[in-house]
Amino acid sequence: MTVHNIRHGDASDGAFAEAVGGRLSRVDGPAKITGAAKYAVEQQLEGLAYAVLVGSTIASGKVLAIDTKAAEAAPGMLQVLTPDTIISLRTAADWFGTPPPDKPYCPLARDITFSGQYVAAIVAETFEQAVAAAALVKVSYDETSTIVDLSDAKAGDGIPIDAMTKEWGDAQGAFASAPVRICAAYNTPREYQAPMEPHGLIARWEGDKLTVWEPSQWLDGMARTYAEWFDVPFENVRLVSPYIGGGFGSKALALSHGAVAACAAKMLSRPVRLVMTRPQTFTGYGGRAATRQTVTIGADADGKIQSIVHRSVNETSIDGMWVEPLGSVTSIMYSTPNFSSKQNVVRVNSVVPGAMRAPGENPSAFGIECAIDELAYEVGIDPLEIRLRNYAEQDPHAKKAWSTRQLREAFAAGAERFGWARRSPEPRSMRDGNQLIGWGVAAGTYPVRRAYGEAIVRILADGSVEVESSSIDMGQGTYTILAQTAAETVGVRADDVVVKLGDSRFPRAGVTGGSRLAGVMTGAVYKAASSALDQLVGLAIGDPRSPFHPLQANTLVVANGRIASPRGDGPDVSIAELLKSVGRDHIEATGDTMPENSTPEERYKNYTTIAMALPHTEGDYSRHSWCAHFIEVRVDEDFGTVRVSRVVSALDSGRLYNPKLAESQWKGGIIMGIGQALLEEGIVDRRHGRIVNDNLADYLVPTNADIPDIEVISVGIPDLHSSVLGGKGVGELAIVGVAPAIANAVFHATGKRIRDLPITLEKLI
Amino acid sequence: MTKTTIPVHLDINGHLHGLDIEPRVTLLDALRDRLGLTGTKKGRDHGQCGACTVHIDGERVLACLTLAAQAEGRTVTTIEGLAREGEMHPVQAAFLEQDAFQCGYCTPGQIMSAVACIREGHAGSDGEIREYMAGNLCRCGAYPHIVAAIRQAALEVAS
Repeated sequence: MTVHNIRHGDASDGAFAEAVGGRLSRVDGPAKITGAAKYAVEQQLEGLAYAVLVGSTIASGKVLAIDTKAAEAAPGMLQVLTPDTIISLRTAADWFGTPPPDKPYCPLARDITFSGQYVAAIVAETFEQAVAAAALVKVSYDETSTIVDLSDAKAGDGIPIDAMTKEWGDAQGAFASAPVRICAAYNTPREYQAPMEPHGLIARWEGDKLTVWEPSQWLDGMARTYAEWFDVPFENVRLVSPYIGGGFGSKALALSHGAVAACAAKMLSRPVRLVMTRPQTFTGYGGRAATRQTVTIGADADGKIQSIVHRSVNETSIDGMWVEPLGSVTSIMYSTPNFSSKQNVVRVNSVVPGAMRAPGENPSAFGIECAIDELAYEVGIDPLEIRLRNYAEQDPHAKKAWSTRQLREAFAAGAERFGWARRSPEPRSMRDGNQLIGWGVAAGTYPVRRAYGEAIVRILADGSVEVESSSIDMGQGTYTILAQTAAETVGVRADDVVVKLGDSRFPRAGVTGGSRLAGVMTGAVYKAASSALDQLVGLAIGDPRSPFHPLQANTLVVANGRIASPRGDGPDVSIAELLKSVGRDHIEATGDTMPENSTPEERYKNYTTIAMALPHTEGDYSRHSWCAHFIEVRVDEDFGTVRVSRVVSALDSGRLYNPKLAESQWKGGIIMGIGQALLEEGIVDRRHGRIVNDNLADYLVPTNADIPDIEVISVGIPDLHSSVLGGKGVGELAIVGVAPAIANAVFHATGKRIRDLPITLEKLI
Repeated sequence: MTKTTIPVHLDINGHLHGLDIEPRVTLLDALRDRLGLTGTKKGRDHGQCGACTVHIDGERVLACLTLAAQAEGRTVTTIEGLAREGEMHPVQAAFLEQDAFQCGYCTPGQIMSAVACIREGHAGSDGEIREYMAGNLCRCGAYPHIVAAIRQAALEVAS
């Protein structure tokens, strides 16, 4: 449970900072900047024991033996866990809720399918003792042949994923007869979320009740998994996740390290803390899968697209399935009468890849947004103009109207601010000394994913308001925007609202992923707060003890924590005074975004699986966020080093609940996109299938010195088809399109088209 | 059995603490696990991310690469000790105003680094701030706002 009292309105924001849409400073900010914010594994518990995992050093084969003698004799040793000694668990359903096979689940492996897979764990009295003892565990293997990555000859063509096929018209025929034809292959490497807070947890059993303090993007989903593993009722598992030190998709699921820690805690009858090492954060869960795409475009001589043929693959693991939807942007960004997209997945010896900021849309946009740039040069049309010429007036795939699509406005606003009209079209035609200057543009999009959430809003005896939900804040600003929503709806000041999140005992919420949380939870809090306000006004009008009772008014106004009649001709009392006069110590209301008359079973399924999420094309509309990035790069002509020197992005996320925080998220997405374009690449040792650069010195993420000032412009309008209060997705949108904008800028600077990310100097010289 | 612990005396945020710990315990783990001072964050012990930045005798130091015993007889300041008499340090206030963080996990390290960066005289321009703050990673990507916050706080500290 976490409590934040809002005290820090930004003076420059004026009186409206506290309402929805205001630039209120982060309400969890003071706790974070003073060190008072306690993250999940920072809970100080009596009797805490420390677990350390031992990972496999081969990527494929069998564990022959685990020699734990030396480890068992180490000082402070409490327990050695191996596949032979760890307690047996039940297999849990996946995140779709698919009924699992009725077989035991062992989070420690005998059969190895990727390097770093956990084979043993050590629990000791101190962290230092556990680390030292883990180094004494000796594992012998029977190593078999490894499929290293997509380029491995043994990898093959993979498995066709029919659900990814999208086709209309006659794409091949139209391409064959098109006057202009381009065809190119685009590759993206393995990329990693690399949150600053490593994954980890504290697990504690009290009888058959389990408490897990764990950074989590989905408390209810993870609690369900733990409950199913240990065969206890869902209500017996409590997940606590007050703050999350970065997730980017990687902290939504209960993973094997969590199972190991919870097993150890049960076996020892002590609370156990387990935190991954930094290298384990590269193998303990999946980053973004490596992808390959071929984009073929047939067009008229004036650049009007007649056909797009798209073929793609992404890697998955030997025994898991991850599909990175690579045709997701290809199929909707531009209008085309003929289209074909097909995708395969290829099994390699890797941990199963996972969600990383805009899974699917991000690599998909890299393909199509580079390809249309290539088409622009082929036909001699400005890269911005060709995008407008092929503008999709409706969803070309779903054949439905856009709910809102402010992409044309984004192009206009971004181009104006960036000064695009001053661009010299020829590659290598702009320079500053030995630096070649390039200007690139690309668009991005992300669908509006909608799910369900519920919240309780309480108006307390002192007139303050309390909001509770099991949703979370990993930096997006949930604490803040829910406080703003409750404050505006009830009619109190934001500093009289306390928001409590991150505890699965609170009203439920679905996964925080796919940029859906803000829209879902502002809706739930708005409904709960409206209902609490109705109760409050109802009491004020109807209760004979109320000072308003003699007025026989139809309604009353609540503002700044005070109640009055709309005409101002009656009493004017505080909420606290009114509650006292009618003898109530609080008012409470629950709100949710579920369909009415939902059964308890449907509610459980909605919050603990993603099976019931609404498609973005449900009903009459196709719902997406949109953006346009304009980026300047400077390339050293001699050394091939690329620096991003200027970014202007215009974005349509609908209505912004708090522009100050939304702008931060947009800029963060753009910065991660700069890393993707220029720095980030998981490098695999071709002998043993091991990630070589499994740390933050070798897997390069952007540093402060890599990032210029970034300008973001909001061009969104409220979209009530997308959410109760009119917002669309924010968090994932802005990374989409950054890498192609940079690749396009590099082409403009150098005349070299780099189609493999990241764009490193050896590819340019 | 041979005694494996040593007495270590630490002066942290103006308070003296006596610990009996193994010599291999880092300052970071001593702060977080023995003293409950969890404001100093752990990116995982490689000296690669800067999340554990503290001040020792006024200079920025990575607590994950410093043994607790090495801090004996020296003055340690952590994020919990930065505010004076309940007043936030100008860098803290500027971080809040400029929204120079999201998840907040790198933030204590960023702030401790920023305070030292200003004190070192390395906050003279945006370019200089970026260079001298490059050892503190932020995966949420708050860099432009961190630069703005340090620019603002540097002016305040100077005045």
